Amino acid sequence: MADKEEKEVIKSAKDIVNQLAVIIKTAHFHDPGNVAVVTAIDRFVALANSLIASEGTLVLELIGEFFYVNGTRIKYSLEYLLNFDFLGREFKKRELGSIIFRNAIKPADIQAFLKAFIASAFSQNPFETLTENLADVDCLIIGKPKKLKEEGEFDVRRMVKKTYFNAASYTKGIMNRIKSGEKVSIKKAKRVVESMVDLILEEEELLLGMTAIKGHDEYTYYHSVNVSILSVALGQRLGLSRKSLTELGLVALFHDMGKIEIPDEILNKPTNFTEDEWRLIRRHPFWGVRAILRLKGLDATAIRSAIVAFEHHMHYDFSGYPKVRRPSELDFYSKIVSLADQYDAMTSSRVYSRIPMSPDKALSIMMERTGTQLDPLLFTFFINMVGVFPIGTLVILDTKELGLVYKSNSLFPDRPRVLVIIDSKGSRVEGYVVDLTEKDAGGKYLRTILKTMDPNKYKINLAEYLL
Amino acid sequence: METAEDIKAAKEIIHAILRTKKNLRMYPENNPIYARTIGDTYTRFRSFFNYRDELNLKINQNDILYDSEQIYYNPGKDDNLAFFFFKDGLREITFKNGLSETEIEEFLKILSLDFDREFVDDDIVTLLWERDFQNIRYVVDEAFLAEDEDYETEAVREIKEKAPDADELLKAYDDAFKADEVKGVSIVPLTDDHLHSLARELERDVYDKTDKLVEILFEMLYQAESAGDYEDALNFLEGAIEFSIRHGNMETASSIMKRATGLINDPSLPDNVKRQMRLLFSFPSSGEMIKLLGELLDSVEIDEKVFDEYVRFLDKNAIPPFITILGELKSINARKNVINALTFLGGKDIRALASGLQDSRWYVVRNIIYILRKIGDKKAEEYLLKAVRHSDVRVRKEVIKTLGELGNRGVLQTLKDCLEDPESQVRISAARALSNIAPEVAKRIILEKVSGKNFMDRDLDEKKEFYEILSQWKDGDVVDFLMRTLKKKSFFRGAVNDENRACAAYCLGLMGNKDALPVLYELRDSKNELLREYAYTAIKRIEYGR
Ligand SMILES: [Fe+2]
Ligand SMILES: [Fe+2]
Repeated sequence: MADKEEKEVIKSAKDIVNQLAVIIKTAHFHDPGNVAVVTAIDRFVALANSLIASEGTLVLELIGEFFYVNGTRIKYSLEYLLNFDFLGREFKKRELGSIIFRNAIKPADIQAFLKAFIASAFSQNPFETLTENLADVDCLIIGKPKKLKEEGEFDVRRMVKKTYFNAASYTKGIMNRIKSGEKVSIKKAKRVVESMVDLILEEEELLLGMTAIKGHDEYTYYHSVNVSILSVALGQRLGLSRKSLTELGLVALFHDMGKIEIPDEILNKPTNFTEDEWRLIRRHPFWGVRAILRLKGLDATAIRSAIVAFEHHMHYDFSGYPKVRRPSELDFYSKIVSLADQYDAMTSSRVYSRIPMSPDKALSIMMERTGTQLDPLLFTFFINMVGVFPIGTLVILDTKELGLVYKSNSLFPDRPRVLVIIDSKGSRVEGYVVDLTEKDAGGKYLRTILKTMDPNKYKINLAEYLL
Repeated sequence: METAEDIKAAKEIIHAILRTKKNLRMYPENNPIYARTIGDTYTRFRSFFNYRDELNLKINQNDILYDSEQIYYNPGKDDNLAFFFFKDGLREITFKNGLSETEIEEFLKILSLDFDREFVDDDIVTLLWERDFQNIRYVVDEAFLAEDEDYETEAVREIKEKAPDADELLKAYDDAFKADEVKGVSIVPLTDDHLHSLARELERDVYDKTDKLVEILFEMLYQAESAGDYEDALNFLEGAIEFSIRHGNMETASSIMKRATGLINDPSLPDNVKRQMRLLFSFPSSGEMIKLLGELLDSVEIDEKVFDEYVRFLDKNAIPPFITILGELKSINARKNVINALTFLGGKDIRALASGLQDSRWYVVRNIIYILRKIGDKKAEEYLLKAVRHSDVRVRKEVIKTLGELGNRGVLQTLKDCLEDPESQVRISAARALSNIAPEVAKRIILEKVSGKNFMDRDLDEKKEFYEILSQWKDGDVVDFLMRTLKKKSFFRGAVNDENRACAAYCLGLMGNKDALPVLYELRDSKNELLREYAYTAIKRIEYGR
């Protein structure tokens, strides 16, 4: 009996968040007195009041990419994806982190809230404007976003590091054991990916930062882990459930399994491949299918992994390899992994591009490839995720400070956070983080990116800060 | 500090968990003990939470601690709850007040899984992770996931060695001012349209991935470069067939076979590959695959057309395992499907099918006989003849019926012998079968039988059947016999004699013999009720032409 109630509470929490999005959307298009707005508000009030009646208050928060109602994270569901995404943006635009409804609410309160909310969109300091306009509405209070964890918290970084290197070490182990024909269980692989998924849901920037550290000796293993992390991060933006993210992460981790058949001397060759060597490289999708299907009997994950191992170089327009007799639309995961794979390969100094590219250069090349090699829709999500200046980009600011992009900003893609390593006087510094959305009293941005440079050329990366 | 009472309550919870872990394995979900055990464990949690907000358990290899107090200890490896958690990296579990009965039930179900089975790909932590319980938190130590403990230290050292020195950094700083102005990639902001397209893409993604894999496996076959490549691709195709059957997807299994059939006729395919491909063709007919098919048939309703399509790709090796499962299947539909399959396959090898006549289960034997009859191949006779002496009357009846329908004169003597079978049903069947195969001979034999002394003692139903068979011969000798019987009076065993007369009346009625009418009219006043009734019915039949 208690469970049924609990489930209903969770369901109504979802509906409340959704309904808040609905009324804000409707209010954008219609007058406050419009019947559509009034009906939507009535429904919101009814839903909210029933929760307030049973739980005392209604606390609606946006933490990271997720909404929480009374401390419980609202689980993803596709039917609400559009509205949740919309509401998240509206919150972020206003630096709004939480709304607390303290006691039973009336439609008039919500009318007032909507008016204030919409008006604040055009303000220089939206949160402050919103607070002022809501001064008379006493049934609710608003707050700024809570930080997930204090930035630079030592424990978190240690955990991110541990997860990342565990994953690389595990990948090395499993690839070597498959190479020597041993039977391996994928129980551990699942665990590895699950911990990456957890971190992406909570500490995405730090883990993405790890993928930006290039130049490891054991490229193939790090590449596999990076592709897995990038794929999961993209999958998260696409609204995939935790369980699907694990599957995607596993599939991505195994995408280059076929490379176990290619001798290390070729893989790690400092010069360009010969035609014969290319022939071998082009076989790795076939060998990938073989390695994966030999690993364990067929099951859903093995099938998906084999498909992605086979398709990840085929390209959206089938211009890549292998060429097949009857091409059919690439699997959804293949498209995701192709994006992550190209991005990581281009920004690393191995295999496909002898000369590593700066992240922003790689992105602009990938942009040219949309519609031909790459799926345009997924690329749009990808670039919205990594931003104009992806994590790890070396930038010079108009303040003459030199730094590395450390955290992207989904609302202002050209205003990430930057880890400054050389200050405006040209001296090397211990590394401090600046937020490019910061403005001075006159509303002018304090810092803006002037130019980007290739971090690999100078072997500069986030290692020093992250490791 | 926890009180002695708290510790006692925590210990009780551990005991309840241990008990549940055992009971959930022993009893099926619908057993009252199953539900009771879960309910009991839940109650213990609830009473703990009356005074406490959470129950935090620390896990070591051999013991479990509650607030540094040992509440469970087991130095052994068997049934060690502490080790059970510990080995997958769990170091702490916290149950929070608010824990629901569903949550605890799910949790206990995870605990009672048989993790030793090979196909369980998930460990406890993965299962807990997937459930994402609101009120059960845990801490894991992931160190064991790394292959090599020093990997991280080594990797970090290696990267730090490559860190730029001050000069390089300053060079970068200098170069920065010479670099081109930033162009920046323009970002298309996400709109509702993007999200709608994504939703459609996600919908499209729910397709059967096996079909895609099969496409890839055939591509591997086409592009194989060595004998090993061919062998792998063929092995995987077998795997795909098995996977499809296991998951009730017979269409995919059929399509693999269909494509393989097309391929084997491709002249460009090397001969040795064709030889290897024969193995693929025999795979679906193997005992294991047929067994799997049986499980499928029993668990879901399979469309007859889909099933028949698949059966077309089976060969005669599938016959023995099909016979085996025929006797094991529970659903009528499943048996019907298997009978259809055996009818199709049996035609290719009567002998293999007929070996099912040796089966110890009478119903299987009867089914095989039925199938042999449906196939209608005269070759079946030599095997059927042996089943005539089967101990089960239902089998004997079926076999005689079949022999009758196959219509070979060679079995006449056997059928004649069957007229002496101890069971009346069998004797009747034999008489019918005889009349089917050789009417002239049968007439003589049956006339002989019905006029014999023993026949008087048979029960009325059997007599009626025999006379009915006689009615098909409207010849003089039969009519004479019937008229004689009809008129026959006897003082000894009068009632039995009247039964015979009643049957003769019945037979003449069936024949529509008008010459019998005078005698029949008289018999309407007979003292014997049966005779009166039969005479009356016969008259009606003859007068109204049925
Ligand atoms: Fe690859
Ligand atoms: Fe790759």
